[in-house]
Amino acid sequence: MVKQGVVPDELTKPFWDAANQGRLEMQNCSACNRLQNPPLPACSQCKSGEHLEWKEMSGRGKIYNYGVVYDCPVKLLQQEQPFNLVVITLDDDPGIQMYSHLPGTPVDEVPVGAAVQVIFEDTANGQKVPEWRVVA
Amino acid sequence: MTTENAPASMYRTTEGLGVWEHKGKVAAVGIGHSPTTRRWDGTPENTMGANSIIALRRAIEDAGVSPDQIDGLVLDPVTTTGAHWPEGQPIPMDVVNAFNPTDDPLDGIAKLSAEWILKNMPELTNVKFTMYGLGCMSHAIVVAAQAVGEGRTHTCLVLKSWHNLEGRYNQSGISAADTVPGTFALSPGRTLWGAPGSYGTALQFAEYCRKYGKSHDMMAPFMANSRRNGLLFPEGYWAQHRPEQLTAEDYLNARWIAKPASLFDNDIPIMVSGAYLFTTAERAKDMKQKPVYILNHASSRGAQRSILPTLDEVEAETASTGRKIYEGAGITADDLSFENMYDGFSLFHQFHLEGLRYRGMQNGDALDFYQTDISIEGPNPVLPSGGNIGSGRSRFWMHTDCIQQIQGRAGARQITGVKPEIGVSGGPMPMGGNFTVWSASPG
Amino acid sequence: MVILISFDIDGTLEVGDPPGVLSMDLVRRTKAAGILIGSCSDRPISGQRIIWEQHNITVDFAVSKQQLPDVKAKFKADVYYHIGDREDLDRQYALAAGFEFLWPDEALAEPWLHLDGDSS
Repeated sequence: MVKQGVVPDELTKPFWDAANQGRLEMQNCSACNRLQNPPLPACSQCKSGEHLEWKEMSGRGKIYNYGVVYDCPVKLLQQEQPFNLVVITLDDDPGIQMYSHLPGTPVDEVPVGAAVQVIFEDTANGQKVPEWRVVA
Repeated sequence: MTTENAPASMYRTTEGLGVWEHKGKVAAVGIGHSPTTRRWDGTPENTMGANSIIALRRAIEDAGVSPDQIDGLVLDPVTTTGAHWPEGQPIPMDVVNAFNPTDDPLDGIAKLSAEWILKNMPELTNVKFTMYGLGCMSHAIVVAAQAVGEGRTHTCLVLKSWHNLEGRYNQSGISAADTVPGTFALSPGRTLWGAPGSYGTALQFAEYCRKYGKSHDMMAPFMANSRRNGLLFPEGYWAQHRPEQLTAEDYLNARWIAKPASLFDNDIPIMVSGAYLFTTAERAKDMKQKPVYILNHASSRGAQRSILPTLDEVEAETASTGRKIYEGAGITADDLSFENMYDGFSLFHQFHLEGLRYRGMQNGDALDFYQTDISIEGPNPVLPSGGNIGSGRSRFWMHTDCIQQIQGRAGARQITGVKPEIGVSGGPMPMGGNFTVWSASPG
Repeated sequence: MVILISFDIDGTLEVGDPPGVLSMDLVRRTKAAGILIGSCSDRPISGQRIIWEQHNITVDFAVSKQQLPDVKAKFKADVYYHIGDREDLDRQYALAAGFEFLWPDEALAEPWLHLDGDSS
């Protein structure tokens, strides 16, 4: 599934640059030793932006939950309906979630709790985006 | 007169605040609604601004006060149902100039300022206090109640209006763009992955069903009850335009939007305005309608750790909200005659109910409760307003219904299985909303 | 030749919200021609049936948008049409279910009346 193109902005550029290099990075507050996603200008715990850094993740996770999208607001994805839309939690910190279309898994046959591994896919403008596949 | 957003200090967001200092000292005495339509038809008469004037004038008339007695106005300036004025599309100046415009030509069409209202309701000659309760009617009610309690205004109009334009919900603009900004792509709501509006709620519901062994089919009695109640709400969209019942067969055969959320689990965006008149308990005694006293208002400001709230996060937040509601009102769950918590999306109403511990419910009980008598005739009415599912997206039917039920003015929707003495309404979301306790007596 | 026609309601039929260009008389003529007819709409199925009853039209089916494949499985016909006003909810669903698709203004010409063969 080709997603809309992404134009990295100041806040998220490190995330997208890492994706282009095949790495999954998350924002981390070094003062709180706490990851956060989505990226924010400040740590959601200490409210300071001074100690925010980008930290490489293992790229391993679990399927936490999922739905099946039949009526998508995004025009580019409508031709792919219905499709899985899954929430992944990272093994590095199960409190951190990411979305996935879970390529390779049939619609509505999502194994909740299964292990997944990050991959990187091209979006419509060539920017890479993290995606996830079920680990066999 | 500059109108500011209500400061955070006006909302009661934490537990441990004790009984609300203005408990029973503020009352609702008037209600007004505009007609409903599906979308704006392009005429001045059908603008959101025109609807607002209708609703406000009806609330004033209903309360039996003269307009010059009114000294306050609280409203939500954001009026979109999800439809925004298309960039580059000319604004019809004949419509703009059919009213007394402000500097912003979209004012009264796709947004609403207090200034616009005051310019177009010249009879409001004594309004000294204006404030925005940003979000929805639930916010505006809280702000107005607090303002009256604090003596900033003694007779205050509360208004929420909605505009709905051509096009499908959230499908224009960035959803149709070739590229999106990096931050948007990773944001929790509308993202690169194409989540519909009801997706987050659908996932919480899915987790709920897995944890407690429930199913989507078990929602059918709640949905039928809500639509039935909505069809008894003459101010509502379905009652006015398409008086169709929603049977279990209808619900179970609906197409999915974001499975397990189906078409009917989503509310229909409409154009409508609603207004109330609040005043002090002292002044309310002499007014036309029976006063409905506000015992408390409480707000929820939950924050999830990551992209979507987990079931644990939702249940913790709604339980906290329930405690705040009761603490500030000085009541317990046993004192509730009925509940009117928010339902747009239907699949989160059970979180509100269980958080309230309504009729002794614990987490995981609500869908079984839906299989019992939850009608307006029974001893355990659930959402007698019918909510957004019953009447379209206003986010205020539940407030109107609380006032009308307690006043005995709910007509064919009047609950009969229990005496309507104390009701609770509010929303929108389980993780964030504003809630009000209404009562026949000041407590 | 057996023909089946599925009508969307809102934006397609004159009784829809918003009203469409196809009259209920056109539907009656279609029925009288021996064509299998019904509705496929986002309206509740019970509400669809009420509309047909109010207009004294007996339909062969009333279904939700995603149920066109069920209609095709239930009724054997040589040609299946769905008429609707929406690209996403009518045309795409129709084509995916193996129906031919007509926009309401195309249907005004009642092209099914000009198909070769016996229409009953």
